[in-house]
Amino acid sequence: MPPSLQRFNLFGQGPLIALLVLCLVTALLTGRFLSPLNLTNILVQSSIMAVIAIGMTFVIIGGGFDLSVGSSVALAGCIAAMAMVQFGLAAGVLAGIATGIAVGLVNGVIVAKLGINPFISTLGTMVLVRGLVYLITGGAPVGDDRLPTAFLAFGSARLLGIHYLVWVPAVLLVVLSWVMAATPYGRRIYATGGNREAAYLSGVPVDRIIASTYIWCGGLAGLAGVMLAARLQSGQPTAGEYYELTAIAAVILGGASLHGGEGALYKSIIGVFIMVVLGNGLNLLNVDSYWQRVAIGVVIIAAAAADRLRSRH
Amino acid sequence: MNVPAASARGVSKHFGATRALDNVDFDVLPGELHALVGENGAGKSTLVRILAGVHRPDRGEIAVGGEVCHFNGPRDAIAAGIIMIPQELRLVPALSVAENLTLGDAPLRRMFGLRVIDRAGMRKEAQEQLAQLNFAPDPDIRVDRLSFAERQLVAIAKALRRQCRVLLLDEPTAALETREIERLFAVLTRMKSQGTAIIYVSHRLDEVVALADRCTVLRDGRVAATSRRGAFKVADLVEAMTGRAVAQADAPTTTAGAVLLEDVTSRPDAIRLRASEVMGLAGLLGSGASHVLRRIFGIGGETIDVRRDGRLEQIASPAAAVRLGIGFVPDERRLGLVMNLSVRDNILLPSLDRLARGGHLDRAKGDRMVRQLMELLDIRPRQAYVPASTLSGGNQQKVIVAKWLAREVGVLLLDEPTQGVDVAAKAQIHALIRDFAKRGGGVLVRSSDLAELALICDGIFAVHGGRITDRLQRSEGFDEKRLHAAIGG
Repeated sequence: MPPSLQRFNLFGQGPLIALLVLCLVTALLTGRFLSPLNLTNILVQSSIMAVIAIGMTFVIIGGGFDLSVGSSVALAGCIAAMAMVQFGLAAGVLAGIATGIAVGLVNGVIVAKLGINPFISTLGTMVLVRGLVYLITGGAPVGDDRLPTAFLAFGSARLLGIHYLVWVPAVLLVVLSWVMAATPYGRRIYATGGNREAAYLSGVPVDRIIASTYIWCGGLAGLAGVMLAARLQSGQPTAGEYYELTAIAAVILGGASLHGGEGALYKSIIGVFIMVVLGNGLNLLNVDSYWQRVAIGVVIIAAAAADRLRSRH
Repeated sequence: MNVPAASARGVSKHFGATRALDNVDFDVLPGELHALVGENGAGKSTLVRILAGVHRPDRGEIAVGGEVCHFNGPRDAIAAGIIMIPQELRLVPALSVAENLTLGDAPLRRMFGLRVIDRAGMRKEAQEQLAQLNFAPDPDIRVDRLSFAERQLVAIAKALRRQCRVLLLDEPTAALETREIERLFAVLTRMKSQGTAIIYVSHRLDEVVALADRCTVLRDGRVAATSRRGAFKVADLVEAMTGRAVAQADAPTTTAGAVLLEDVTSRPDAIRLRASEVMGLAGLLGSGASHVLRRIFGIGGETIDVRRDGRLEQIASPAAAVRLGIGFVPDERRLGLVMNLSVRDNILLPSLDRLARGGHLDRAKGDRMVRQLMELLDIRPRQAYVPASTLSGGNQQKVIVAKWLAREVGVLLLDEPTQGVDVAAKAQIHALIRDFAKRGGGVLVRSSDLAELALICDGIFAVHGGRITDRLQRSEGFDEKRLHAAIGG
């Protein structure tokens, strides 16, 4: 068997199968699920979380964890909106992404160089960054009608019939999957997350690799913040709350291991879809939104349990 | 006829498509030491794990004291009096020696009507247990401060504390040196005389011949031979294990070339390694011989100055050492491999930057390198995409060596390269080391097995207290007495 086939085994595709079954069941229960409008909705709703989940996958495969992405989304959105009002569209977008990268750099240095547990470090930056957001905005939304019209249109504009918001994670997925699979850098992330000590003793600069995963995660959270500001038509200081938990849940649903060294970007995207489709289906079926939360919690635990049972053999 | 303390009847076990055991009969009598030998992957560890309740057999049955048992986990086996000491020790690194020893059933006393741990009693009990092994560490020292061999003694002492009907030892002496091995044998002999049955897995066949009352040889998951004491010799065992006679590595004949690597920090005892030279590092437990190796590889944050191929260089990290063409095989396999990654990914890990072509990896070249190395080192199974964790110990060790051959390093630093490896693989690794030197490489190898060093080395550094205290050359003849004296043994 050629290696490419050998490595694609159906057994490892549990999340994909779960997603397909979920779609099938929802489609059977409600005819509205497969309408073009609803499917477009699902894609757009998934897009921002998908960008965050891609960054989170870098960190989790590298053996880490990042709780600060939700706060980074808000800070990046607000700073992007402020910069945009002052200096125009391009400057705003760059400022937003740079903000996320800066937060990621801080996380990376704290975790990799100071050796502080990622849960604690990023819990710290999560609270700290949220505080900064309120400090610079005074708690009020930034931008509104002073934002460039091109930016305001971006949230609903399309290319080839597909929203720009959806193109962003699609392009990122293709490019970064290639980085993970086919470059020395990508393979080193897997090795570092799988066994930091062994990677270190093989000459891998593990500190730099770990720090870089946080920078990716922060930078992509910054990009997601800009996208969210475009959708919300303003920089919202309260934006992105609980995004970190949703993103981590999606990555784990997609089959990555919290111990590091395992996972794939496309699988994390499948995890995002599972969460969004589940919410969407329950919405269409008029299930109370409080129950939706309960259902999503159950699904996360069930997915982890299924994975545990599978890996026991 | 005695009732066996433990027995397996017609036991078979598959892992996925791999057949680990095929209809195996095996038993051990009370007061008997039954050795289990075989090549890597022959099924020894699987059989031991089935007896210890870790795996359930696909077919066949396990009996303890004549009664058929169905273990649902190691807990059941322990309750039945079967205690296993695995290759990978299960100790809690952050707890003290005494706490580890008494974990789960620590002595208690009452304080204000509450039951609390009796720390003094715990310490005393630990000291008594360890004294049986002639080992007297500070019972309050954390286990992660001990060396691997010391931790193993703690694990053995822990097992001896339990009510033990059958003791399973999987490669207990792999990391021990002569003194500790003798200590262990004395303990085992005493346990035997008290009626404990012992199942003993080892690659050191001379031990088996000296120690075992009976010996069973496994080959490809089947029993190849079982014989009583006196009826087996090392050569017979090797033949039964491999189905062929094993060639020894060539004795060193090379002449050393230019200096490859020299430690130029101002120490009179600095390491110097020449091309085509295999140098040994000999030292007792705690002598710092391992540290000498690790230091040259840049582990521990200390920056050292070296002369490499005549140029002055600095080594501040393993990455820097690798860039200078130095490879390191650590003494614990879990430090050498990323277990959940494939054999291929592990072999290529140090060479990723060399395989990069325009930013991405040259897949075909990587595949070719992996295929050649797996062929050269006879890594089994010949499958590049299985996780490294599925390989047997000896094959894992070969993968670690393959990593550095792929990188084409000029200097190899080996820490206990044949620890826990069977005779056939050991001979292969020795041949590999000699071959590496013959092609102009330099090797620095630490081993607790002095006979091994005498066999493969051109010269031996004796290490004591973290310093090199003597240097012996093959041309002068390796004088074992002088070596023992130099390492303080």
